[in-house]
Amino acid sequence: MIRHKLVAVAGAGALALALAACGGSDSSGGTGTDTSGTGDDWILGTTDTVTALDPAGSYDLGSSTLEYNLYQTLVTVPPNSTDIIGDAAKSCDYDDPQTLTCTLNPGAKFSNGDPLTSEDVKYSFERAIKIQDANGAAIYLLGSITDTKKDGTVVLNKGAIETPDDTTVVFHLDHPDTTFQYVLTYPGAAAIVDKDVFPADKKLADDKIIGSGPYKLDSYKAGDTAVLSLNPNYSGPNPGKTGRVFVKYYTEPSALKLAAKNGEVDVAWRSLAPTDIAELKGDSNVTVATGKGSEIRYWVWKVDGPVGKNLAIRQAAAQVFDRDAIAQDAYDGTVDPLYSIVPPGYGGANEAFKDQYGAPDKAKAAQILKDAGVKTPVNLTVGWTPTHYGPSTEDEANEVKRQLEDSGLFKVTLKSTEWEQYQTIYKEGAYDLFVLGWFPDYPDGDDYLSPFMVDGGFFQNGYKNAQVNKLVSEEQGTDDQAKREQIFGQLQDIAAKDVPFIPSWVGQNTAVYGAGMKGVEDTLDPSFIFRFWLVTKNG
Amino acid sequence: MRRVLTVLTRPFTETTGLARWMLVVGVALTAVFVICAIFAPWLAPYGFAQSSDHGVRFQKLAHPSSAHLFGTDRLFFDVFSRVIWGARTALEVVILSMAVCIVIGVPLGLASGYYGGWFDRIMVLIMDAFYAFPSFLLAIVFSFLLTNAFGGSVIAVSLSLSAIYIPQYFRVVRNTTLSAKEATYVEAARAIGASDGTIMRRYLFGNVIQSVPVLGTLNAADAILTLAGLGFLGLGIQSTEAAEWGHDLNRALADAGSGVWWTGLYPGLAIVLLVTGLTLVGEGLNETLNPTLRRRRLLPVVLPSAHPANPTQEEQN
Amino acid sequence: MSRGGSGSLPRYILQRILLVIPMLWIILTLVFLVMRVAPGDPVSAALGSKLNPTQLAQRRHALGFDRPLIQQYWDYLSSVLHLDFGTTFSDNQPVLRVVRDNGGATLTLTLAAFLIALVVGIPLGLVAGRYRDSFPDAVIRLFGILSYAAPIFFVGYLLQAYVAGPLGLPTSGDSSPITSFEIKLHPKTHILLVDAILSGDGAAIEDVLKHLLLPAVTLGLLICGVFIRLVRVNILQTNQADYVEAAEARGIRRRNVTWRHAFRNALVPVITVVGLQFALLLGGAVLTESTFNWPGLGQKLVQYINERDYVAVQGIITIFALAVVLISLLVDIINALIDPRVRY
Repeated sequence: MIRHKLVAVAGAGALALALAACGGSDSSGGTGTDTSGTGDDWILGTTDTVTALDPAGSYDLGSSTLEYNLYQTLVTVPPNSTDIIGDAAKSCDYDDPQTLTCTLNPGAKFSNGDPLTSEDVKYSFERAIKIQDANGAAIYLLGSITDTKKDGTVVLNKGAIETPDDTTVVFHLDHPDTTFQYVLTYPGAAAIVDKDVFPADKKLADDKIIGSGPYKLDSYKAGDTAVLSLNPNYSGPNPGKTGRVFVKYYTEPSALKLAAKNGEVDVAWRSLAPTDIAELKGDSNVTVATGKGSEIRYWVWKVDGPVGKNLAIRQAAAQVFDRDAIAQDAYDGTVDPLYSIVPPGYGGANEAFKDQYGAPDKAKAAQILKDAGVKTPVNLTVGWTPTHYGPSTEDEANEVKRQLEDSGLFKVTLKSTEWEQYQTIYKEGAYDLFVLGWFPDYPDGDDYLSPFMVDGGFFQNGYKNAQVNKLVSEEQGTDDQAKREQIFGQLQDIAAKDVPFIPSWVGQNTAVYGAGMKGVEDTLDPSFIFRFWLVTKNG
Repeated sequence: MRRVLTVLTRPFTETTGLARWMLVVGVALTAVFVICAIFAPWLAPYGFAQSSDHGVRFQKLAHPSSAHLFGTDRLFFDVFSRVIWGARTALEVVILSMAVCIVIGVPLGLASGYYGGWFDRIMVLIMDAFYAFPSFLLAIVFSFLLTNAFGGSVIAVSLSLSAIYIPQYFRVVRNTTLSAKEATYVEAARAIGASDGTIMRRYLFGNVIQSVPVLGTLNAADAILTLAGLGFLGLGIQSTEAAEWGHDLNRALADAGSGVWWTGLYPGLAIVLLVTGLTLVGEGLNETLNPTLRRRRLLPVVLPSAHPANPTQEEQN
Repeated sequence: MSRGGSGSLPRYILQRILLVIPMLWIILTLVFLVMRVAPGDPVSAALGSKLNPTQLAQRRHALGFDRPLIQQYWDYLSSVLHLDFGTTFSDNQPVLRVVRDNGGATLTLTLAAFLIALVVGIPLGLVAGRYRDSFPDAVIRLFGILSYAAPIFFVGYLLQAYVAGPLGLPTSGDSSPITSFEIKLHPKTHILLVDAILSGDGAAIEDVLKHLLLPAVTLGLLICGVFIRLVRVNILQTNQADYVEAAEARGIRRRNVTWRHAFRNALVPVITVVGLQFALLLGGAVLTESTFNWPGLGQKLVQYINERDYVAVQGIITIFALAVVLISLLVDIINALIDPRVRY
């Protein structure tokens, strides 16, 4: 009833929409003129927050969800794959491990009709780096074409980006880096913006942005709503099928659940609480769809701490760590056990911890400690935070405590503090073992290994291993995928043996959708790109 | 000692009818929780963070039964035990924060009211500024700050509650001091050359401290609500440090949708009952000690404190 | 009571207005200090789980968070003086826009709660005060105490679990998505209810009102307890005042005395306290807003505190404080006009 009114409000455009919805069969699209779409409008509900819609100021999932649909990047990742295919570019190829050449699709345009040329590409990188926004991914992920000055300013290397003609962009990297092509898929670092619209030295207001993606932004109210409509000038490979897509932002998972249950949103995606998902699975009005995820949770040992420095203690804890129980007791089975820091689905991922330790076994753990001459029970201070990873972290921390203590080998003191404080004090060694989460920047095994294992990782746990450092630079310096995956395997095996951290679980990519929705499953993959163009509604 | 007893029993002996009943019910309710708090280790069947007994893991989210009077929660903990231990946390926090309030607020108010002048004006300004700050937000920010300094969150939360209530104590004590210092016996003491310290300690303190119990009980009630509010926002005391009702209620919200009612109802009721008890005591005391409300056979005597803006302030300016 | 010129009304008002300035300054300083001393900063809040310590330090440096505090303090004060509240770090919105967009929701909720509290609380307080110690008095007072004693989120929880379902009322947000897309994206006043009424769209108005009902009742109940107490106590106090007794002695019927004299006099302090309750209300609104996901300023503020968004928190609290201080100024001036004893 109300929903019909929504169409009416849209005025003249609505008629075209209704007609198109009746016609329904033409899904070829891509002609650059079809602005009406073939399905009904649909509403996406999410609890993600948006930092900025200008790519120069965003490095978070909430922002990139819209950006993937509003902008193009040179290359992109197809659903359920870690291959790289062209987006704004026909292709990007390594001439050698230090030179990447991209050829643009000719005739591409931004949604305002401006042509998209190699100049825009170059400008996009230059301005993102120049703006230096702390929330922007460019200054963190584009290390191969930038330099960091002493005072922390990041500058683009001279001549790093060349544009020999309107459709060619050449990147000159300052060291062999095959992960660079993956970075190019991430809009926060590499979305292409219109040089005539975006200012060179500051962020553009969210509601003014112009991109060349399948959709354009009609209106936006931060933290509340966004409305996207088909980009009439889109000529790329992924034309949208829905006239308008509405996005509604929620602050609490419980509210999102209710909205999904009551049909107020057509798709609820990120993030429903485990109990909510379990409840919605029993609801016949909605469908719970899950794909592989990439968000992981892991427990870090303070390797240079008084307890963590003892390898036997780290191994013994890994030996009794029961991931199935964590997934079940703390998360109601809405996450999958993770047996290596690289989650399944990524090239080269293995199950190193399972191979090394097998099923949880108290006797084996006791033996490890006994062989090393460690007196039991070992006193452990275990840290977690209630304010960053959701309330279920408390359940997980308690489950870990129970597991360690049930073995009779450990005496655990759980400590928690608010996230900001947590970050500071875990680095200072307040906890022997503490929980952290990770969400990848690009779909490559390297993003799960180099930030964690090189020189104590970004979390500074004191783990150092010369062989690891060597393997990582070897892997980053070759474009031989088979060789890289083989090195990934080696690194994961080392992690299982040295136990600088204990992988706990990998999240699923879960969406809940109502009647008439199609294609939601197709976009649920570890990349966490919600591809609006794959989803349609026929109600 | 006798005097203390008289003061303590005065509320009961001097009130009649409804007021006395409210006081009695309030004291009884509060007493139940105080007993729970003191004897928690003996009254509660399990520890506040105990998830198994004799090596047998409790069931997750078990219905109330004879084994678990109020059922168990998401964390496998016994709800009944946590409700009882929660009383201890609540009282610890309240007593600690009230003590800090009195130790800081009363002397400041006394000195400010007694000396007057610039010191007084600046103090009033600062305290009013604190007062104008939305108190709950002050508590949130302070709890962040203090967890940093103390690690243990019971102390941190107590102190952040103190930060909210000190201005109130200051205000009440300052105003009472203003009127009390004009009393003849204070003038007399000054005339015989008693030092400022002596006057404040000997003569004013006893007079001024009488206004604290009413404020204290009402603040205690408020403090329990604020504590629970912090817990509810996930910023208070976490489950493994101590049992805290607001925290448990927060975690219970997620389960309410799937028919699990026992994890939320009991902690919630505990808060309501304790706060009701304290408020009844506070109101009862107020009726006895506040002369304009007291129902007596004699004609009411209007004391200066009945008018918030009392004429003695005029001399200050 | 007043002596010479020092008690004149204009002078008092002037004094009171001049006091607002140091008061605001103290509040501004307090916000600044509290935010800087709190552990963490906007950069680590946003990216602490991604960046290594060197990178974090570089970003902090680039944003000036490692400059001397006094310098940052000076910049902050001078920008506030220019009424420049800046742009939030965590979601790239001008602070004034955040206040405008979310302030409307808080205002709507607060006023609706006030209305409910007035309609329920004042008559109950009058009855309780008039029939002191009777059975109705006992029941009303108990109700008053319970409504104050029950934490907002517990009442909210009970309403959501046991009332919302049977009555078919929504339990979260200020409107359903459809209404948001129709009304919120084309705002006229930025107050959703007003916009809905202006649009003349019956379904939207109904939707907004339905969403408003439970949060307003929850917050209203809390204030209602305060009202009952206040009105009752003031009726009691005025009933014992000399002139009431005098009136009674003159043979005027008790009921007339209560209504004509006591009621009017009792309301004056009620209005005072109502004004001063504003700060409390905003605090209460934080909890109500997070229980019902009400998109107001309180909820926003908690979010920004968690993200250590200095600019946003400072801006919002400054505006809060401004409102509180101005309202108490207004109350004082009104009081001074009504009751000359207040001036000194």
